[in-house]
Amino acid sequence: MAIATTELKQRIIEALNLQDITPEQIDDEAPLFGTGLGLDSIDALELVVMLEKHYGIVIKDIEEGRPAFRSVRTLADFIEARRPAV
Amino acid sequence: MSARFPVITGQGVIAAPGTNVAEVWRAVADGTCGLKPLSLFTSPRYGQIPVGEITFDPHELGAPLRGSRSDKLAWLAVRDAMRAAELDVTKCGERTGVVLGCSVGGSYDSEQFLVTLLKKNRMRPCATRFHECSAPVDLIANSFGCYGPSFAISTACSSGGLAIATAADLIQSGAADVIITGGTDSLSRTTWAGFHSLLLVDATGCRPFDVDRGGMSFGEGAAALVLESEEHALRRGAKILARLTGWGASCDAYHATAPHPDGQGAIAAMQAALRRANLHPGDIHYINAHGTGTRDNDLTEARAMRKVFGANVPPFSSTKRIFGHALAASGALEAIVCIEALRRQQLPGNPGFRQIDSAIGLSPVAKTQAGHLRHVMSNSFGFGGNNAVVIFSHADVMPQTRATPVKPASVISLGAILPDQVVERSTQWPLPMVTVTAHACSPFSDLNTLSSIQRRRLNRLSQMAVLAARRAGRPEPTQRVAITLGTGFGSLDEGAIFLENLIAKDEAEPMPTRFPGSVHNAPAGQVAIDLAAHGLNSAPTADEISFESALWQALNQLACGEADEVFAGAQDELNKYPLYLGKRWGVWDAVNQPGESAMFARLTPTAAAPLARVNALRLGRFRQPFDPVAEAQWIANAIDLTTVPLIITGAQGWRKFDSRYLEVVAELNRHRSQKLEHQTYKQDCGEFPAASGVGFIRAVTAARERGCRVLLYTLAWRGGKAICLVEP
Repeated sequence: MAIATTELKQRIIEALNLQDITPEQIDDEAPLFGTGLGLDSIDALELVVMLEKHYGIVIKDIEEGRPAFRSVRTLADFIEARRPAV
Repeated sequence: MSARFPVITGQGVIAAPGTNVAEVWRAVADGTCGLKPLSLFTSPRYGQIPVGEITFDPHELGAPLRGSRSDKLAWLAVRDAMRAAELDVTKCGERTGVVLGCSVGGSYDSEQFLVTLLKKNRMRPCATRFHECSAPVDLIANSFGCYGPSFAISTACSSGGLAIATAADLIQSGAADVIITGGTDSLSRTTWAGFHSLLLVDATGCRPFDVDRGGMSFGEGAAALVLESEEHALRRGAKILARLTGWGASCDAYHATAPHPDGQGAIAAMQAALRRANLHPGDIHYINAHGTGTRDNDLTEARAMRKVFGANVPPFSSTKRIFGHALAASGALEAIVCIEALRRQQLPGNPGFRQIDSAIGLSPVAKTQAGHLRHVMSNSFGFGGNNAVVIFSHADVMPQTRATPVKPASVISLGAILPDQVVERSTQWPLPMVTVTAHACSPFSDLNTLSSIQRRRLNRLSQMAVLAARRAGRPEPTQRVAITLGTGFGSLDEGAIFLENLIAKDEAEPMPTRFPGSVHNAPAGQVAIDLAAHGLNSAPTADEISFESALWQALNQLACGEADEVFAGAQDELNKYPLYLGKRWGVWDAVNQPGESAMFARLTPTAAAPLARVNALRLGRFRQPFDPVAEAQWIANAIDLTTVPLIITGAQGWRKFDSRYLEVVAELNRHRSQKLEHQTYKQDCGEFPAASGVGFIRAVTAARERGCRVLLYTLAWRGGKAICLVEP
């Protein structure tokens, strides 16, 4: 089952302390870094912690996560592919 | 005034590869990797990753029993440096100071307070006694009888380099004849897990400049230099090991952790050091690179070296795989590598390097080999985009630097966040609940002027610093701006949240945002980003004279012409740990209540209509037992008090010091017909290490409103003291 992007957005908001933003304001396809939400390298590290905490995915090299952090959509696909079997 | 060239007459070291200079050099000569599995504490998540740990007991080498691990390592290195320099400790006195880099401080020991509390539900408050990064400076000054200017520099991984640079400034300005300098940092759970949470650690040990490098390796240690003016060294017949001929500092003002991609700050610091030494790039025969082994550092450092040295980058190497990255000790350990390289005419190798990275396009010296060295450069870079570069030269070299005494400066504006309410503050988990009356700052009225990332990312202390700086006003974009921001405790809130989470969850969910915010220089780095201030970015720490230490660095930057304008300030925040421990130890009472504030004074060499002038500043240490007659004499020798009607002191805080202040004022008044008026400020702002910054605001205001000269006098609880004369 594909993971719900609304839930993922909520977890991104919590992990990154994006106080002024609601899940509806984040476009599935919009870039998370640079433009878009304007996140930076330290936010990427918070996402690494979030992925391990909520989805059991361990990332040891930030380069490994970089393609996944392009947008909410790519992140959801990455989680889907990497999530340990339950 | 003579040239006051700084020379090195003694060195001492303790680190993973050895406990003395000869052992450490042997490891450099052989290219030995000093990394092995961690044994100092248990790390459920990262325990197998190699680290540069000191595995013998510091006490067996003679370290004192009292103090943190960082304090003891520093003490051992300093003892050996003083022995090597044949410096008579009974003659150190007022002309000998101590300036050490320290960024972990007593964290390793104070962490044990939290470990026993959270895991065993037992209270061991004594473990926190030496938490401050200034504690090693006080231990050393007090043990070896140094009564000159003393403070610590806490700018993360550049601390050691910046401390050595500051020591050179103190010598060349004439403020001291000898400075015991260097750096110390022990391993700690916070920094260990913190760097891991940033995914910056190479699980196989660091491989600086190699194509396959995967990050840094951790280390610990201490290294000390006896730095003195050449005249002083010759007068006492000391052997000169090497010279310190250049030093420079800068700030990227770019990001909390990532270096500027083009290495702009690194370039500026290398150029500043060359300028100070009056050397050309072609004069440098070796560079000991910062070379941590992270992808970003090594790439940007190589870019910076190319920019400064063009097609002729001198032989360079990183020795980080020998020591591990010992944070604030690192610049000092590498100073010893540089000095020995000059003495032995050897180019140190770069263990861990196998294959060139085409993106870097430069190969380090792979193995230690013979060379011809006259001048060598050492780079140290740190969080907050903080860069320090020093140049050591052969003892036979005739240096080109000039003595630059500190001059008066103008205060052009002030900005502050001051406590404006007296509140009952209760301590929370994991501490038992106690309630303490405290002087607190209201929520900041101008918080919404911060950008969304500043509101989201910056901790409260950094927000206080940025807002206090903004309240002081923005400098013109053409100005070269430096920032010196003193603090006694740094970001205690951030450090505590990071560590509580780490221990409670057994390292399971580290907090990568909070770790870089917990270093002492994080607020100063954020102010630099906010103001685009690319000059020196320093975070001195010295208990109650933290502000005066920052002010000294500011005046010196202006006198040396390294900055057109300096934001000099001080800050500390209320935090539950000092509230609880102070209550438990009976520190807080009806008069002595904890407080907090952040403040900045903008200083320029001259100004058309300044608020006031800072006309004299002296740092020192008082002797035990406290002698008010000697203290009054010290003040009278430095400042002509006949036209000073007002003294402002740190009394009305910690009660032990009230009587000392009163005795000194009485002594100063003994020979005066017109008595000094004595004012205090801690009744309004509370007690905290950076409180004398509030006293300075009071002094500037009084000088301006009453048109009189004002003396600010501050004593620090572990022995520091400072006087500052403010006049209309």
